[in-house]
Amino acid sequence: MLVFTRRRHEAIMIGDGVEVRVLRVGKDGVRLGIVAPTDVRVHRREVYEQIRDANQSAVVSQGRLAKVTERFTKAK
Amino acid sequence: MTPAQAATETDITVSEAVTFPDGIPGFESCRQWVVMAAEDATPLRRLHALDGPDASFLAIDPRMVLDSYRCELSATDRRRLGATDDEPLVWLALVMMENNGALTVNLRAPIVINPRTMMGQQVLPHNCLYPLRHVLVDAE
Repeated sequence: MLVFTRRRHEAIMIGDGVEVRVLRVGKDGVRLGIVAPTDVRVHRREVYEQIRDANQSAVVSQGRLAKVTERFTKAK
Repeated sequence: MTPAQAATETDITVSEAVTFPDGIPGFESCRQWVVMAAEDATPLRRLHALDGPDASFLAIDPRMVLDSYRCELSATDRRRLGATDDEPLVWLALVMMENNGALTVNLRAPIVINPRTMMGQQVLPHNCLYPLRHVLVDAE
């Protein structure tokens, strides 16, 4: 992992198009500004992880498929 | 409501493989997917990965779960789908079976498919904070 020390208003460039700038440094957190090309998606890591975990629990095996659809149609 | 939001699943048939350039979170290597009707369980749909790990999901149009469901796609997401402003898109929310038997649906991060370009992705919109596990069917 690359480690940098940055002060307020200083930035880091990642590749040609991504800039990460320190906007504010507080006691409990650092406020960052991200500039990235429009085809680069930027998300908080924990949001990404939540979605990944939900996706993993959404996989239905062939055997479970019938059970889920049955639960669904019964409840309709 | 924009025309894109007004389109319903029944207007669109997704019969061929849909390309997800980045897969979906947790299934990054699943790039090719097919969407099928889930037998005897309309309006559930089945999403099945053609490559990568064996992955099959059940999904439902989030607008059939919540009438008021509205999600704005970012310019980035739109571009990645090759979608014009008023193009009808297919929206699918993944269904989960919880340990207690409840069925929940991920309204937070819907899957969006452009049937014209056959491109798809799971979007994580910043502006629509619907629940990650919205209860569709209560626990047994």
